[in-house]
Amino acid sequence: MPETKLYRSPTFCSAVSTPTSPLSIASAPAGTLWWRWGAVSLLVYRAPLLAACGLLAALLMSSLASLTLGSAGLDLLDALKAIFGIGEFMHVFVVQELRLPRLLAGMGTGAAFALAGCLMQTLAGNRLATPGIIGIDNGATAFAVASVVGLGASIAPPAMALSGAVVAMALAFGLSGGIGTRGYRFLVAGIGVGALFGAGTQLMLARVSIDVANNAYPWTVGSLNARDANSVIWLGIAMLIGLPLALWLGRGLNTLRFTDRVATGLGLPVARMRLMILWLSVVLTAAAVAVAGPVGMVALVGPEIARYLSRHKGVPLLASALAGALVMVLADLAGRTLLSPLEVPVGIVMAVVGSPYLLWILLRSPR
Amino acid sequence: MLDRLMLCGVLTWPLMTTCSRPFPRGCSRMTADPSFSAWFMENCMENRRDLAALALSSQELSRKVGLRNGLRSSLLASVAVLLLDASLSAEARSVETAFGELEIEGTPKRVVTLYEGALDVAVASQITPLGAVTTRGGDGVAAYIAPQVPKIAIIGTPREFNIEAVVALKPDMILAPPGLDLTQYQLFSRLAPTIVPAAAELTSDAWKAQSRTYAEALGDDAAAVLEKRLAAIESHAAHLKSRMSAPQTASLVRRMPGGLLVMSDQLFATGLLTASGYQLAGSDLVKAGRPHSDPLSDENLSRIDAQTIFLATLDHTSNEAVEALASQPVFQRLKLASRQGLVGVDGQLWTSASGPLAAEALLKDLDSVRDDLHDQDRE
Amino acid sequence: MQADEMIPRSHVSAMSSSSAMPSSSAVPMADSAPATRKVTGRLALWKVMPLACAIALLTCLASLLWGAGQVGPMQALKALMGQGSEEARFVVYELRAPRTLIGIVVGMMLACGGALMQVVARNPLAEPGLLGVSAGASFAVAVALLLGIEAAGMHVIVAQSGALLGCLFVMSTVRVRGARQDPVRLVLAGAALSSLLVALTSLVLLIDQRAADEIRFWVVGSLAGRSLSALYHCLPSLLLAVVLTLWLARPLAALVLGEQVASGLGHRPERVRQITILVVALLVGAATALAGPVAFVGLAVPYVARALCGADIRRTLWLCLPLGVTMLLTADVISRLVVPPSELPLGVLTTLLGAPVLIAVVRARRLPTL
Repeated sequence: MPETKLYRSPTFCSAVSTPTSPLSIASAPAGTLWWRWGAVSLLVYRAPLLAACGLLAALLMSSLASLTLGSAGLDLLDALKAIFGIGEFMHVFVVQELRLPRLLAGMGTGAAFALAGCLMQTLAGNRLATPGIIGIDNGATAFAVASVVGLGASIAPPAMALSGAVVAMALAFGLSGGIGTRGYRFLVAGIGVGALFGAGTQLMLARVSIDVANNAYPWTVGSLNARDANSVIWLGIAMLIGLPLALWLGRGLNTLRFTDRVATGLGLPVARMRLMILWLSVVLTAAAVAVAGPVGMVALVGPEIARYLSRHKGVPLLASALAGALVMVLADLAGRTLLSPLEVPVGIVMAVVGSPYLLWILLRSPR
Repeated sequence: MLDRLMLCGVLTWPLMTTCSRPFPRGCSRMTADPSFSAWFMENCMENRRDLAALALSSQELSRKVGLRNGLRSSLLASVAVLLLDASLSAEARSVETAFGELEIEGTPKRVVTLYEGALDVAVASQITPLGAVTTRGGDGVAAYIAPQVPKIAIIGTPREFNIEAVVALKPDMILAPPGLDLTQYQLFSRLAPTIVPAAAELTSDAWKAQSRTYAEALGDDAAAVLEKRLAAIESHAAHLKSRMSAPQTASLVRRMPGGLLVMSDQLFATGLLTASGYQLAGSDLVKAGRPHSDPLSDENLSRIDAQTIFLATLDHTSNEAVEALASQPVFQRLKLASRQGLVGVDGQLWTSASGPLAAEALLKDLDSVRDDLHDQDRE
Repeated sequence: MQADEMIPRSHVSAMSSSSAMPSSSAVPMADSAPATRKVTGRLALWKVMPLACAIALLTCLASLLWGAGQVGPMQALKALMGQGSEEARFVVYELRAPRTLIGIVVGMMLACGGALMQVVARNPLAEPGLLGVSAGASFAVAVALLLGIEAAGMHVIVAQSGALLGCLFVMSTVRVRGARQDPVRLVLAGAALSSLLVALTSLVLLIDQRAADEIRFWVVGSLAGRSLSALYHCLPSLLLAVVLTLWLARPLAALVLGEQVASGLGHRPERVRQITILVVALLVGAATALAGPVAFVGLAVPYVARALCGADIRRTLWLCLPLGVTMLLTADVISRLVVPPSELPLGVLTTLLGAPVLIAVVRARRLPTL
């Protein structure tokens, strides 16, 4: 058991009420910043804060790049003016109708995927346990493809993707008979259910004409090119609820990384906590998949970057979300511009970019 | 019609407001002068959508005309309105699309095609599109049409359009595939008039209706050219049919690694085969409304047995595919088919393209097949 | 089973990060207690084997009798007995017989590959399809097609190399991370690897749309339209794999008892493991070259075999032969009958048959941390 001091801290900051006596000034623990305003004091870990700020700055930069670069050339000033509807019609059209919604969708999906990934990784105590790998993506893909090939009772693909993700998880949950310790039983059942849904997708694609298969293609690889405005809004709502909820769960998450006995001893309702984390992760993934299709690799790469930058014992939820958004925006930008005018779907770019990470995670020696 | 009335109103208003201006000599001559209506057209008609610009130009018109009294001004105004209305109905064409009637005037100069059939019609009408999508399973436009559009920009694949690339081409008309979805249509029609042919059911003549829609949008000349070409195609097919002494059977299949796909008899290519006198075999394998069957099991190869089997591959390996199929014992057991009757064809043309040029190229293929067979008969 | 239930929960909830646990105290797998197997009433091999072989023969017969074509079972039966129409004889002998033969070989190879992999990974969930070994093979073939390598004989070697790489990769993750206590880690690594390879194969499809039709075959497994010549290309490596397996059986059985036992019996565990991985790659690569990626045969068949006659690899492997044939040909026959006159992809059907077994494994077995 590693010797770890447990600070009362959710992710990287916490409001701790302290006695108002001016004499009780304690020095801040190493690596933290500490402010006090009367009854309230704020303790912030420095590394995660720096990481979050750095990621935010990088996200801003890449957003600007994403608005500026593309087949229709724009300079930075034009792009910025076009956001507010000033400038040539073509510029405004390109920015307002094409790039800005796509950028927002990319940020939202990236953040949601990475946050869900971080939650599930912490739950399972395994960096490979991301929603995509354990079959949520496959469920969503199968349902969306069913809708595209005309089996979906005329429900739009995004809605079908959403329900597919939930159905896959419900199946895995039901079949595994509870989530088991660390959710392992659930993970393996999820892989099995994912394989079943994958087979179903192949079955459908093998039996339709090439045009219909082409229409279903974005749903099989993950793409930001054809987004649905409604599902972007739903994703926004899911993120608005999910991110604070995740941050609120953060402290419990930190504790959950110890053994069940320790966690229970620290007063954590372990089983209920697991269930909440699991469903939060599923809902976030489902909302993201409904927008962008299966881009599961973000859930692997985002938290990994966040962990590397934070160098912190806690669970870097906010940094994960930021890193996921950053990675997604960059991958989409690369996919749009590298082979221009042909677009490489963001899911494929992520797979190519993410593979070195994956290899590293798989092969590096244990700490 | 409503917007036309609005235009008239917009136009009349500045005319009335300027009625106190001095009336220059020769005004009556001006209105009668054909150059006046030409000037009028030039200034007012270019940007019919832009009401503000129109109001400005009509103000300019009234300044130029300079009206002296109310009677004359109202007369002139009504003349102008009538002139405008008449010129509108003379010049604007209304094109029936999947998303309602679209009014188009003038000949588009910067056309972008998002569909192989549309590219074909545009090239056939001597209009070189600026951008097009790739053919299925290829990196550029289909081989049969590529020499005629050497500089065309690729703006996506049939499964995904790069809208930014379309914007960059600054199109004044977009020819979209039938079945484009509404959100994409709304996006494209903000760039330029977007023509989406009404999605007809899968019939072997659907391509003609689609081509007519595209041609109408491209202008009266294009429509006339198309009709001429369609007539020529029909007579070419009829000629082929008349040369056929007895009805021959044929089937069109595409090679897939899992087996052969039988193409529906309701497609562009199979429709032309029927028109050229072939009886199609194996089309009962295709479910209604589907363009082709599932991969056919080897055991059922006899269901597509025919005197001529057209074997299409999307890449350029149809000759190897023919050799591979011909060497299989299953094929050798077919009763009607022979090695000579097994013809490798270009899948980009036969199973993917549509349009008048594609039809001409396909019939040319049929010509050469016939000639080969005749040669062999003579030998 | 009982052996596992006796393990105290404290072991179960061992921190995954604290891998300092000595290997001798590693929680033994359910397979690793053959002594208890006999007590719990496993059947002897000689009792099970004839029955399994009989069932396998029946499925072979079914594979000859039923097809997607018009030659029905009665006609085919007549043809088999030397009567019947010429057409029926052709269909049975020229079309269904080679296909059945390929199916037999592929089924055996996949089942044995799975059984061997499970022993060497000490994990009942280690399945070549699930762990990305088949995906490695088909990705290698896709890349070879992209580079323009088209000779049929090359496919086998390329597929086997891809399988070997996938195998080494996924096994090294287990080795390095000392995850033998943690069977799910291997499965997760495999799932991650195969999803990566699938995405990369999509990339190949995107880059070269012309080869797309050809490559698409390597994404979904099928026995349709495979000729016997493809089988001949596999024979040398198959022979090698058989010889190596016969040589490996005894050391592997010792290895199941634990590394120290195996060393004590004079085997070299590391060497044995390496050669086993090679054999798995040979088998799975050849099977993939023959039929494309076919998942879950390597999971379901060894699972059933162990359930029938215990975990000793020497018995499991023998039983895997008829059972693998049974599963693969059953799936193939179903694939021909569901949508005549066409066929379904075989890989889809084996997944539909096999994925429930995965879930059964998860539910039934008390894996150390499940």
